[in-house]
Amino acid sequence: MQRDVALVDLVDRLLGGGVVIAGDITLAAADVDLVYVGLRALLTSVATAEEKGLLPEFGSSL
Amino acid sequence: MTEELVWAYCVAGAPHGVSESGVEGRPVEQVEAAGLAALVSRVPRSEFAEDALRRNLNDLDWLARVARAHEDVLEHVLGETTIVPLRLCTLFESEDGVRRMLEQEQAALAHALSALSGRDEWGVKLILNKATLEEAILETSPEAVAMRAEMEGKSEGGAYLIRRRLERHVRDRVDALAAAAADELRAELDRCVLACVTRPPQNPELSGYTGAMLLNAACLVDRGGVESVRQVASEFETRYAHLGARVELTGPWPPYNFVPGEPDS
Repeated sequence: MQRDVALVDLVDRLLGGGVVIAGDITLAAADVDLVYVGLRALLTSVATAEEKGLLPEFGSSL
Repeated sequence: MTEELVWAYCVAGAPHGVSESGVEGRPVEQVEAAGLAALVSRVPRSEFAEDALRRNLNDLDWLARVARAHEDVLEHVLGETTIVPLRLCTLFESEDGVRRMLEQEQAALAHALSALSGRDEWGVKLILNKATLEEAILETSPEAVAMRAEMEGKSEGGAYLIRRRLERHVRDRVDALAAAAADELRAELDRCVLACVTRPPQNPELSGYTGAMLLNAACLVDRGGVESVRQVASEFETRYAHLGARVELTGPWPPYNFVPGEPDS
Protein backbone atom coordinates (compact mmCIF):
# COMPACT_ATOMS: atom_id res chain seq x y z
CA MET A 1 0.00 0.00 0.00
CA GLN A 2 1.12 3.51 -0.66
CA ARG A 3 3.29 5.08 1.99
CA ASP A 4 1.44 8.32 1.95
CA VAL A 5 -1.94 7.10 3.11
CA ALA A 6 -3.56 9.80 5.17
CA LEU A 7 -3.06 9.74 8.92
CA VAL A 8 -6.79 10.10 9.38
CA ASP A 9 -7.34 6.83 7.44
CA LEU A 10 -4.77 5.12 9.64
CA VAL A 11 -6.20 6.46 12.89
CA ASP A 12 -9.76 5.59 11.87
CA ARG A 13 -8.71 1.96 11.50
CA LEU A 14 -6.13 1.59 14.26
CA LEU A 15 -8.28 3.30 16.88
CA GLY A 16 -11.76 2.84 15.46
CA GLY A 17 -11.27 -0.77 14.33
CA GLY A 18 -9.31 -3.82 15.31
CA VAL A 19 -10.16 -6.16 18.13
CA VAL A 20 -10.44 -4.65 21.58
CA ILE A 21 -8.72 -7.24 23.70
CA ALA A 22 -8.63 -6.74 27.44
CA GLY A 23 -4.91 -6.17 27.79
CA ASP A 24 -3.42 -4.74 30.94
CA ILE A 25 -3.56 -1.32 29.36
CA THR A 26 -6.18 -0.56 26.76
CA LEU A 27 -7.64 2.77 25.77
CA ALA A 28 -10.92 3.92 27.21
CA ALA A 29 -13.48 5.40 24.82
CA ALA A 30 -12.75 8.84 26.25
CA ASP A 31 -9.08 8.50 25.40
CA VAL A 32 -9.94 7.60 21.81
CA ASP A 33 -12.29 10.59 21.54
CA LEU A 34 -9.53 12.87 22.80
CA VAL A 35 -7.23 11.68 20.02
CA TYR A 36 -9.79 12.73 17.43
CA VAL A 37 -10.24 16.10 19.11
CA GLY A 38 -6.48 16.50 19.13
CA LEU A 39 -6.23 15.62 15.45
CA ARG A 40 -8.73 18.31 14.53
CA ALA A 41 -7.15 20.92 16.73
CA LEU A 42 -3.66 20.25 15.44
CA LEU A 43 -4.43 19.90 11.76
CA THR A 44 -5.68 23.45 11.39
CA SER A 45 -4.78 23.75 7.79
CA VAL A 46 -4.05 21.46 4.91
CA ALA A 47 -0.81 23.36 4.35
CA THR A 48 0.44 22.67 7.85
CA ALA A 49 -0.37 18.97 7.58
CA GLU A 50 1.32 18.74 4.20
CA GLU A 51 4.43 20.25 5.72
CA LYS A 52 4.38 17.52 8.33
CA GLY A 53 4.15 14.94 5.57
CA LEU A 54 0.89 13.64 7.00
CA LEU A 55 -1.33 14.06 3.99
CA PRO A 56 -1.15 12.37 0.62
CA GLU A 57 -0.44 14.38 -2.48
CA PHE A 58 -3.56 15.81 -4.00
CA GLY A 59 -5.30 13.24 -6.14
CA SER A 60 -3.15 10.28 -5.09
CA SER A 61 -4.84 6.92 -5.44
CA LEU A 62 -4.03 3.32 -6.24
CA MET B 1 7.81 -4.12 38.15
CA THR B 2 9.92 -4.32 35.01
CA GLU B 3 10.91 -1.29 33.00
CA GLU B 4 9.15 -2.62 29.95
CA LEU B 5 5.62 -3.33 28.82
CA VAL B 6 4.59 -5.60 25.99
CA TRP B 7 2.94 -3.92 23.00
CA ALA B 8 0.78 -6.27 20.93
CA TYR B 9 0.23 -5.77 17.21
CA CYS B 10 -1.92 -8.66 16.07
CA VAL B 11 -2.70 -12.33 16.40
CA ALA B 12 -1.77 -14.72 13.62
CA GLY B 13 -2.38 -18.38 12.93
CA ALA B 14 0.60 -20.27 11.61
CA PRO B 15 3.80 -18.90 13.14
CA HIS B 16 5.96 -17.22 10.55
CA GLY B 17 9.27 -15.38 10.36
CA VAL B 18 9.68 -12.45 12.72
CA SER B 19 9.28 -9.28 10.71
CA GLU B 20 11.23 -6.07 10.87
CA SER B 21 11.34 -3.58 13.70
CA GLY B 22 8.16 -2.12 15.05
CA VAL B 23 7.10 0.80 17.23
CA GLU B 24 9.93 3.08 18.31
CA GLY B 25 12.36 0.81 16.45
CA ARG B 26 11.80 -2.09 18.85
CA PRO B 27 12.28 -5.62 17.47
CA VAL B 28 9.14 -7.59 16.72
CA GLU B 29 8.83 -10.88 18.61
CA GLN B 30 6.35 -13.72 18.73
CA VAL B 31 4.50 -15.04 21.73
CA GLU B 32 2.83 -18.40 21.23
CA ALA B 33 0.06 -20.16 23.10
CA ALA B 34 -3.02 -22.25 22.30
CA GLY B 35 -1.88 -22.79 18.70
CA LEU B 36 -1.83 -19.05 18.06
CA ALA B 37 0.91 -16.47 17.78
CA ALA B 38 0.83 -12.84 18.83
CA LEU B 39 3.30 -10.37 17.37
CA VAL B 40 4.64 -8.07 20.07
CA SER B 41 7.39 -5.65 20.96
CA ARG B 42 8.79 -4.77 24.35
CA VAL B 43 8.50 -1.04 24.88
CA PRO B 44 9.62 1.33 27.63
CA ARG B 45 7.15 1.83 30.46
CA SER B 46 8.27 5.47 30.64
CA GLU B 47 6.66 6.11 27.27
CA PHE B 48 3.84 3.58 27.20
CA ALA B 49 2.36 3.33 30.69
CA GLU B 50 -1.11 4.84 31.04
CA ASP B 51 -0.34 8.47 31.88
CA ALA B 52 2.59 8.69 29.47
CA LEU B 53 0.49 7.02 26.80
CA ARG B 54 -2.34 9.52 27.14
CA ARG B 55 0.12 12.37 26.86
CA ASN B 56 1.84 10.85 23.86
CA LEU B 57 -1.37 10.13 22.01
CA ASN B 58 -2.08 13.84 21.97
CA ASP B 59 1.29 14.50 20.39
CA LEU B 60 0.57 14.25 16.69
CA ASP B 61 4.16 13.45 15.76
CA TRP B 62 4.26 10.59 18.26
CA LEU B 63 0.89 9.27 17.16
CA ALA B 64 1.79 9.41 13.47
CA ARG B 65 5.13 7.69 14.05
CA VAL B 66 3.74 4.93 16.27
CA ALA B 67 0.64 4.37 14.14
CA ARG B 68 2.70 3.96 11.00
CA ALA B 69 5.23 1.67 12.67
CA HIS B 70 2.41 -0.45 14.06
CA GLU B 71 0.69 -0.66 10.69
CA ASP B 72 3.97 -1.49 8.92
CA VAL B 73 4.38 -4.59 11.10
CA LEU B 74 0.94 -5.83 10.08
CA GLU B 75 1.40 -5.04 6.42
CA HIS B 76 4.73 -6.85 6.40
CA VAL B 77 2.91 -10.13 7.05
CA LEU B 78 -0.31 -9.32 5.22
CA GLY B 79 -0.73 -11.81 2.43
CA GLU B 80 1.68 -14.31 4.01
CA THR B 81 -0.62 -15.26 6.85
CA THR B 82 -4.07 -14.34 8.14
CA ILE B 83 -4.01 -11.77 10.93
CA VAL B 84 -6.45 -10.46 13.48
CA PRO B 85 -5.44 -6.83 14.00
CA LEU B 86 -5.62 -5.52 17.54
CA ARG B 87 -6.64 -1.98 18.34
CA LEU B 88 -3.77 0.41 18.81
CA CYS B 89 -2.41 0.57 22.35
CA THR B 90 -3.10 -2.98 23.49
CA LEU B 91 -0.41 -3.50 26.11
CA PHE B 92 0.44 -6.21 28.60
CA GLU B 93 2.55 -6.28 31.73
CA SER B 94 4.39 -9.35 30.50
CA GLU B 95 4.55 -12.04 27.86
CA ASP B 96 2.70 -14.32 30.28
CA GLY B 97 -0.20 -11.90 30.06
CA VAL B 98 -0.17 -12.27 26.30
CA ARG B 99 -0.17 -16.05 26.58
CA ARG B 100 -3.09 -15.94 29.01
CA MET B 101 -5.00 -13.74 26.57
CA LEU B 102 -4.37 -16.17 23.70
CA GLU B 103 -5.60 -19.07 25.83
CA GLN B 104 -8.69 -17.22 27.02
CA GLU B 105 -9.65 -15.91 23.59
CA GLN B 106 -8.60 -19.00 21.63
CA ALA B 107 -12.05 -19.90 20.28
CA ALA B 108 -12.92 -16.40 19.10
CA LEU B 109 -9.47 -15.83 17.59
CA ALA B 110 -9.39 -19.18 15.79
CA HIS B 111 -12.87 -18.50 14.41
CA ALA B 112 -11.79 -15.03 13.25
CA LEU B 113 -8.65 -16.34 11.55
CA SER B 114 -10.70 -18.92 9.72
CA ALA B 115 -13.30 -16.37 8.62
CA LEU B 116 -10.67 -13.89 7.38
CA SER B 117 -8.39 -16.31 5.57
CA GLY B 118 -7.46 -15.07 2.08
CA ARG B 119 -9.34 -11.81 2.54
CA ASP B 120 -8.29 -8.18 2.75
CA GLU B 121 -9.97 -4.90 3.57
CA TRP B 122 -10.13 -2.17 0.93
CA GLY B 123 -11.17 1.43 1.42
CA VAL B 124 -13.45 3.04 -1.17
CA LYS B 125 -14.13 6.76 -1.07
CA LEU B 126 -16.41 8.83 -3.28
CA ILE B 127 -15.41 12.45 -3.68
CA LEU B 128 -17.45 14.99 -5.59
CA ASN B 129 -16.86 18.67 -6.08
CA LYS B 130 -20.03 20.36 -4.89
CA ALA B 131 -19.38 23.44 -7.03
CA THR B 132 -19.39 21.24 -10.12
CA LEU B 133 -22.65 19.66 -8.95
CA GLU B 134 -24.19 23.10 -8.43
CA GLU B 135 -23.21 24.21 -11.91
CA ALA B 136 -24.65 21.06 -13.41
CA ILE B 137 -27.98 21.62 -11.64
CA LEU B 138 -28.11 25.28 -12.59
CA GLU B 139 -27.74 24.22 -16.21
CA THR B 140 -29.98 21.17 -16.30
CA SER B 141 -32.67 21.39 -13.66
CA PRO B 142 -35.89 22.66 -15.32
CA GLU B 143 -36.87 24.58 -12.18
CA ALA B 144 -33.46 26.23 -11.97
CA VAL B 145 -33.53 27.18 -15.61
CA ALA B 146 -37.01 28.64 -15.17
CA MET B 147 -36.01 30.66 -12.12
CA ARG B 148 -32.94 32.02 -13.85
CA ALA B 149 -35.12 33.11 -16.75
CA GLU B 150 -37.49 34.77 -14.28
CA MET B 151 -34.60 36.73 -12.81
CA GLU B 152 -33.54 38.11 -16.17
CA GLY B 153 -34.33 41.77 -16.59
CA LYS B 154 -35.46 42.21 -13.00
CA SER B 155 -33.84 44.68 -10.67
CA GLU B 156 -31.55 43.55 -7.85
CA GLY B 157 -34.39 43.87 -5.37
CA GLY B 158 -36.95 42.25 -7.61
CA ALA B 159 -34.70 39.30 -8.27
CA TYR B 160 -33.74 38.84 -4.63
CA LEU B 161 -36.55 36.51 -3.60
CA ILE B 162 -36.20 34.43 -6.72
CA ARG B 163 -32.46 34.16 -6.10
CA ARG B 164 -33.11 32.89 -2.58
CA ARG B 165 -35.54 30.27 -3.92
CA LEU B 166 -33.02 29.27 -6.56
CA GLU B 167 -30.25 28.85 -3.98
CA ARG B 168 -32.49 26.69 -1.82
CA HIS B 169 -33.51 24.61 -4.81
CA VAL B 170 -29.92 24.08 -5.91
CA ARG B 171 -28.86 23.14 -2.38
CA ASP B 172 -31.65 20.58 -2.08
CA ARG B 173 -30.94 19.10 -5.49
CA VAL B 174 -27.19 18.92 -4.78
CA ASP B 175 -27.84 17.06 -1.54
CA ALA B 176 -30.28 14.68 -3.22
CA LEU B 177 -27.93 13.98 -6.12
CA ALA B 178 -24.97 13.47 -3.80
CA ALA B 179 -26.94 11.04 -1.64
CA ALA B 180 -28.17 9.14 -4.70
CA ALA B 181 -24.64 8.84 -6.08
CA ALA B 182 -23.35 7.52 -2.75
CA ASP B 183 -26.21 5.02 -2.53
CA GLU B 184 -25.57 3.86 -6.08
CA LEU B 185 -21.88 3.25 -5.47
CA ARG B 186 -22.64 1.50 -2.21
CA ALA B 187 -25.15 -0.80 -3.95
CA GLU B 188 -22.62 -1.69 -6.64
CA LEU B 189 -19.98 -2.44 -4.04
CA ASP B 190 -22.44 -4.62 -2.11
CA ARG B 191 -22.91 -6.70 -5.26
CA CYS B 192 -19.22 -7.48 -5.70
CA VAL B 193 -17.65 -7.60 -2.21
CA LEU B 194 -18.09 -9.97 0.73
CA ALA B 195 -19.05 -7.25 3.18
CA CYS B 196 -19.13 -3.47 3.30
CA VAL B 197 -19.38 -0.96 6.12
CA THR B 198 -19.48 2.80 6.00
CA ARG B 199 -17.04 4.84 8.01
CA PRO B 200 -17.57 8.50 8.90
CA PRO B 201 -16.88 10.80 5.94
CA GLN B 202 -13.65 12.65 6.39
CA ASN B 203 -13.18 16.34 6.89
CA PRO B 204 -11.40 17.73 3.82
CA GLU B 205 -8.75 19.34 6.02
CA LEU B 206 -7.84 16.01 7.57
CA SER B 207 -8.13 13.86 4.50
CA GLY B 208 -6.35 16.08 2.03
CA TYR B 209 -9.12 15.87 -0.52
CA THR B 210 -10.82 18.94 -1.89
CA GLY B 211 -14.48 18.38 -2.51
CA ALA B 212 -17.06 16.59 -0.44
CA MET B 213 -16.49 13.02 0.63
CA LEU B 214 -19.86 11.41 0.00
CA LEU B 215 -18.96 7.86 0.84
CA ASN B 216 -16.20 6.39 2.95
CA ALA B 217 -16.60 2.65 2.78
CA ALA B 218 -14.53 -0.26 4.01
CA CYS B 219 -15.00 -3.50 2.07
CA LEU B 220 -13.96 -7.07 2.75
CA VAL B 221 -12.71 -8.61 -0.46
CA ASP B 222 -11.34 -12.01 -1.42
CA ARG B 223 -7.78 -11.53 -2.51
CA GLY B 224 -8.75 -12.55 -6.03
CA GLY B 225 -11.74 -10.20 -6.10
CA VAL B 226 -10.01 -6.82 -6.08
CA GLU B 227 -10.20 -6.42 -9.84
CA SER B 228 -13.99 -6.27 -9.77
CA VAL B 229 -13.81 -3.52 -7.14
CA ARG B 230 -11.40 -1.56 -9.34
CA GLN B 231 -13.77 -2.04 -12.25
CA VAL B 232 -16.77 -0.77 -10.27
CA ALA B 233 -14.74 2.26 -9.23
CA SER B 234 -13.52 3.02 -12.73
CA GLU B 235 -16.95 2.60 -14.35
CA PHE B 236 -18.57 4.79 -11.71
CA GLU B 237 -16.04 7.55 -12.32
CA THR B 238 -16.75 7.38 -16.04
CA ARG B 239 -20.50 7.51 -15.51
CA TYR B 240 -20.19 10.55 -13.27
CA ALA B 241 -17.27 12.20 -15.06
CA HIS B 242 -19.47 15.21 -15.90
CA LEU B 243 -19.81 15.83 -12.17
CA GLY B 244 -16.08 15.44 -11.54
CA ALA B 245 -16.54 12.30 -9.42
CA ARG B 246 -13.48 10.52 -8.05
CA VAL B 247 -13.53 7.07 -6.53
CA GLU B 248 -10.38 6.57 -4.48
CA LEU B 249 -9.23 3.11 -3.43
CA THR B 250 -6.83 2.35 -0.59
CA GLY B 251 -5.58 -1.08 0.35
CA PRO B 252 -4.94 -3.82 0.97
CA TRP B 253 -5.53 -3.20 4.66
CA PRO B 254 -5.54 -5.69 7.47
CA PRO B 255 -9.22 -6.47 8.16
CA TYR B 256 -9.73 -3.84 10.90
CA ASN B 257 -13.43 -3.49 10.24
CA PHE B 258 -14.31 -7.14 9.70
CA VAL B 259 -13.14 -9.21 12.63
CA PRO B 260 -16.17 -11.37 13.52
CA GLY B 261 -17.45 -11.61 17.06
CA GLU B 262 -17.68 -14.73 19.18
CA PRO B 263 -18.54 -17.94 17.25
CA ASP B 264 -21.86 -18.24 19.05
CA SER B 265 -22.89 -14.57 18.65
